[in-house]
Amino acid sequence: MKITIGHLYPDLLNLYGDRGNIQCMKKRCEWRGIEAEVREFQLTDPIDFANLDIVLLGGGSDREQMLVCERLKTIQKDFRGYVEDNGVVIAVCGGYQLLGHYYDTDNGRIEGLSLVDLYTEQGSPRLISNIVIENELFDYPIVGFENHGGRTYIGDNQPLGKVKFGYGNNGTDGMEGVLYKNIVGTYLHGPLLPKNPHVCDYLIGSALKRKYGKAELAPLDDSQELEANRYIVERFC
Amino acid sequence: MKNMRVRRLIAVWTAKIVSTVCRLSGRQGVTLAGRIALKIDPRILADLSSMVREKIFVVCGTNGKTTTNNLLCSAIESEGKKLVCNHTGSNMLAGVAAAFVLAAGNNGKLDADYACIEIDEASTLRIFPHFKPDYMVLTNLFRDQLDRYGEIDITMDILDRAMKMAPEMTVIVNGDDALAAYLAMKSGNPYRTYGISEQVFKEQGGHEIREGRFCKNCGARLEYEFYHYSQIGKYRCPKCDFARPEIDFDASHIDMSKGLSFEVEGRRIEADYRGFYNIYNILAAYSAVRTAGLPLDKFADVLRTFNPQNGRMEQFVISGTHIVLNLAKNPAGFNQNISAVMEDEKPKDIIIVINDNAQDGTDISWLWDVDFDRFAQEDIRSITVSGIRCQDMRLRMKYVDISSEMIADVKSAIEARIRDGCGNLYVLVNYTALFSTRNILLGLQKGGKP
Repeated sequence: MKITIGHLYPDLLNLYGDRGNIQCMKKRCEWRGIEAEVREFQLTDPIDFANLDIVLLGGGSDREQMLVCERLKTIQKDFRGYVEDNGVVIAVCGGYQLLGHYYDTDNGRIEGLSLVDLYTEQGSPRLISNIVIENELFDYPIVGFENHGGRTYIGDNQPLGKVKFGYGNNGTDGMEGVLYKNIVGTYLHGPLLPKNPHVCDYLIGSALKRKYGKAELAPLDDSQELEANRYIVERFC
Repeated sequence: MKNMRVRRLIAVWTAKIVSTVCRLSGRQGVTLAGRIALKIDPRILADLSSMVREKIFVVCGTNGKTTTNNLLCSAIESEGKKLVCNHTGSNMLAGVAAAFVLAAGNNGKLDADYACIEIDEASTLRIFPHFKPDYMVLTNLFRDQLDRYGEIDITMDILDRAMKMAPEMTVIVNGDDALAAYLAMKSGNPYRTYGISEQVFKEQGGHEIREGRFCKNCGARLEYEFYHYSQIGKYRCPKCDFARPEIDFDASHIDMSKGLSFEVEGRRIEADYRGFYNIYNILAAYSAVRTAGLPLDKFADVLRTFNPQNGRMEQFVISGTHIVLNLAKNPAGFNQNISAVMEDEKPKDIIIVINDNAQDGTDISWLWDVDFDRFAQEDIRSITVSGIRCQDMRLRMKYVDISSEMIADVKSAIEARIRDGCGNLYVLVNYTALFSTRNILLGLQKGGKP
C-alpha cells in the first residue's frame, strides 16, 4: 500500500512547524509498512490532484497568504473536484482560512477557495494560547497551540471539536476547526499531528479507505505521544 | 530642576539597592531594578544616555545580539574607554534602563565614553524615544517566538519605523541576509555592510527552513548563488533591481579547521571558538568598530581573551567531564548549534532543555523546524531531553527515529550524564533554561562531585 501526500507551497506556508505534520504522517505510514511519498508543490507547479491521497495546506503570514491566494484561483476547480471526491485535506491556520470563501483583513480581502462554507474576519487581539478541544469521534482530546488574528465562522458545518481550553474558531462560540467530507481544517498547530496520533491516523485511514476501499491500521506504541497529549490536558484543563 | 535631580538620585539609589538585594537572594533582578527606576523617574533613561560622551551603539537582530554586543564592548574597553553595556542580555526597555542606572554613580551621574546596548527588536520603538543611537548593528532576522512577535513581517515593520525615528543613525547590516539588508537599504539611513562573499559550504542543506525566499520589494522568488545557512547567502532578485548590496567588510579565506580564522580588509582574524555563526558575530563587531573610526590595534587580543561567560558556548569541567553550555532558542540558532556540535568529532553526549515560559515563547512548534535528524550520528552517544516541555522534545526525536532518555529535572539530567556519559557533554538550552542551567553547572563545578 502506498499513499501520496501533497504539500502545497511549503516555501510560503510553513510557519508553525508544519513540517512536523508531514513528518508525522510519513513516519506513521512507514512504521506500518505503508509507503508514503511526499510531493512538494511550489507556487507555479501544476498540481495533479488525481494522484494525491492527502493534501496539506499550512500556515503563512498574511502577506504570504496573499501571494498564495492569487495562485489558488487557478487551481480552485481541480481542488474542489478532489474534495468532492472525498480527497483528504489537512489545512492548518492560514491554510484553514483559505478553505473558506474569504478572509477580510485590515489590508483588504483575501479570496479563499470556497471549498467549505465558512468565512473569516480579522479581529483584535490575536488569539494566542495553548488549546485543548474534544470530539466524541476521537478517543482522546486534541491538543495544540493557536495563534490567529482571524475569527472564523463555520455556519452549520461540523466543528473539529468543542473548546475545553483556549479560544477556537472565533473565541465566542466554543467551536474549533471544521470537518467537511474528508477535510480537516483547524487553527491548531504545535504541530497538530505528533501529539494527536489519533487525528493523524484518522487522516491516513481516510486516505487508505478512499484509495483501497478499506483501512486496517496496525496499532503503534503511542505511549510517548499520548503522554505528551495528557501533559497538555492536565496542565491547562 | 533641583526636584528632577533629586528624583534621579532616588531612582538610581533605589535601583542599586533592589539589584543588590536580588543578587544576594540569587535572582537576577536587573529588569526589576530598571522598571522601578523608570517608575520613579520616567526621564532617567533619556537623561543618563545624554551623558554618554562619545557614541551610542545598539545591536539588534534575531540571533547573535549578545555575543556581538559583548565583543564590541570588549573591543572598545580594550582601548581604555569607559562604557555602559547590558551584559546580561536584558534587552527590553526596563533592562536597558537598568544598564544605564546601575552604571551611574551615587551622585546620579554617568561617567561613560560609549554605550553598547543590545535591544530586543520589538522594544526599539519603546526605547528610541529615550535616546537616538549613533549606530545600529543589525545581525539577521529569523523566525523567533512567533507567539510574542508574530510573523517576521511584523518585526521588520517595527524595525523600519525605528530606523525612521533615528534617521541619522548609521545601520551596520549583515548584507548576506536579504531581509536585514532590504530594511537598511530602503530605510534612507546611512548604512555599511558586512558579509562573506565566498561559498563556504559545499553541501547546501535542501530542507532547512529559510525565511524571506521572496523579494520584499517585488514578490519574485529570490535567486541564490549559494547559501551559508538558513536564508543567509548570496542572493539577487531576478525581476527587480534588489540584490545583495556591495559588501564593505568582506570576510574571506574562511578556515574552520582549528577554531575560526578569516581575513577582512587584509587583516587575519583568529578566534578559538566554534560555530560558523560566530564569524558573523566577530565580523559585526569588527565592522561596528571600523565604522565608528575606532582603533583596532588590540582586536586580536580581545578575541583571544574573550570568554562569553553567559551560556554562549561556555565551558565547564565537572568531575572530569568537559561540558559546553549553549543557548539555542529558534530554528536558525538551533541549526547553527547543531553544526557547531558536529564540528567536534569526539564522542559526545547531548542534553536538550526546552522550557515554554513567557520569555521563551509559549509556542514550541519551532522545534519541528530544527533539523534534529542531523544528530543521527555514531559519535552522538546519547540524547537526553529535559525541561518543562521535555515530552515534546522526546517526540521530536522519536519522529526522526532517534531515541532519547527523558529526565525532566535539569540537575538530575546533568548529574546522570556526568556519572555515566563519555566525558564530553553538550547542554543545549532555550532562553529561560539558560540562567538556571548555568547556575546548576556553576554550583556543580564549585561544589565538586555531583
